[in-house]
Amino acid sequence: MIKIPTRVLLVDDEKDFVEMLGLRLAEGGENVTAAHSGRECLQVLEKKEIDVVILDILMPGMDGIATLKEIKRRFPLVEVIMLTGHGTTESAVKGLKLGAFDYLLKPAHFGELTAKLESARKRKDEQAERIRKAEVKLLLRKSGDI
Amino acid sequence: METIRLLLVDDEDHFRQTIAKRLAKRGLASDQAADGNECLSILEKKAMDVVVLDVKMPGMSGIDVLRHITDKYPKTEVILLTGQATASDGVEGIKAGAFDYLTKPIELEHLFNKIFQAFEKIRRLDAEQKEVQYRKQMEQQMIVTERLASLGTLAAGVAHEINNPLAIIRESAGWMRQLFAKDELKDIPRQKDIAKALDKVEKSVERACRITHQLLGFVGKSESTISEVNLMELTEEAIQLITHEAQKRDIKILRQMEPSMDTIWSDAYQIRQVLLNLLTNAVHAVNSKGTITIAMEDVGDRQAITVSDTGQGIARENLDKIFEPFFSTKSPGQGTGLGLFVSRGILEKLGGTVEVASKIGKGACFSIRLPKHPKGTDEFNERRGEGWVEKIKSRFSEQNGEKS
Repeated sequence: MIKIPTRVLLVDDEKDFVEMLGLRLAEGGENVTAAHSGRECLQVLEKKEIDVVILDILMPGMDGIATLKEIKRRFPLVEVIMLTGHGTTESAVKGLKLGAFDYLLKPAHFGELTAKLESARKRKDEQAERIRKAEVKLLLRKSGDI
Repeated sequence: METIRLLLVDDEDHFRQTIAKRLAKRGLASDQAADGNECLSILEKKAMDVVVLDVKMPGMSGIDVLRHITDKYPKTEVILLTGQATASDGVEGIKAGAFDYLTKPIELEHLFNKIFQAFEKIRRLDAEQKEVQYRKQMEQQMIVTERLASLGTLAAGVAHEINNPLAIIRESAGWMRQLFAKDELKDIPRQKDIAKALDKVEKSVERACRITHQLLGFVGKSESTISEVNLMELTEEAIQLITHEAQKRDIKILRQMEPSMDTIWSDAYQIRQVLLNLLTNAVHAVNSKGTITIAMEDVGDRQAITVSDTGQGIARENLDKIFEPFFSTKSPGQGTGLGLFVSRGILEKLGGTVEVASKIGKGACFSIRLPKHPKGTDEFNERRGEGWVEKIKSRFSEQNGEKS
């Protein structure tokens, strides 16, 4: 089976981290874009179609939670996996309530990360599929009316 | 009425005996001495609260005796009896540390009152001293608590900063692993050496992660989920998790639980973590062939759980340190030195306490107490001396106390 690449956006102010994780994900066949701040993340999302954002919670300037809010407001279909450097589940819970798909403690296991990436992608696809079906129904009803 | 230990010292037998008799009639028993030497030899054998001392005696004078007493028995109060003509002796006596003086011929009522006043003073000083001691103790505790708190904050900050480079190391090592698995690199020499080195890098990252996560887990976890917890079940679960390890090491696990235990309101996940910590420590302490006893008891508004082992015990000088972060007697890499630190943090957050008693070579006993309800519990309400949980504890602490 041919793997359909997930379009991943990696957001972390640690450039080395983004680079290395990016290389690994790309090696695994994903389509990776990098951003180093919340603002840059949103700029990328405006221009590029992205499936899943992997988002660091603690960043200077616009932090992960604020970025997450913006992503969910403007690109509600994009799934977000949070990376939290805190041992605190607090920010994770907050993120989940704001619509993040899941979270991982930093430093995360690559295996866990790819597994979560996969399920986030799956949910996005399913959601897209539901929307497509609903749109078809809507279209049919409209055309039926005519 | 408290008994006042009273000593009458006077060389006039008749006078002394009369006073003793009349005081006894009013409920005040006394010992007697006929001169200074006898007085001092009585004091050597028996502590006295109040000494009524005649100044004018053959041999050692009353003032000399007084100096001896204030020197050697600072807690004893002295009332001097002076002759009419020698009232100045009394003033000198007060300067030398006597409580007061009475001039002969004395009125019994006066003497009686003076003795009580002297005794009152002793009691007051005693109470003050206890108060000072108590305050010192409290201050000591505050210092320890504050130090732990700041250590915790610092440790969490450090942990957080370290997590980022750790993540980079982990991803870099992972990336190298991915590269070496590729076809084009399959034939490069010394693959095994490279794999071994990568293995070490990854394992060390793993180890560092355990430390940072535990640290952050301790400081960051301010939110806990309170629900109805069945402590029996929870304990049983925790025991199950170490049973295999215990069997392997030939360690017996005994349970002393009251079957009628109620549920409590607390955080099940965190309590399980504490219990698991204590049990794992116990297994490590026993190492092989021994017993771990888990006891549970209902103590009023609290539940007590003790985990005692027959292991190597904790050295006396380490008893204060075991709850500090990074304190460990295990070899590097074996323990993070955070288990008890985190456990105590959790318990304090849940309104509970943890105490330890131990004797080298005999084992250690950790007893935790958890409030049955999360709110409205008062640490200072903790009642003492109930049942066998206390007895088990005292078995250790008595032996410790004797040495101090």
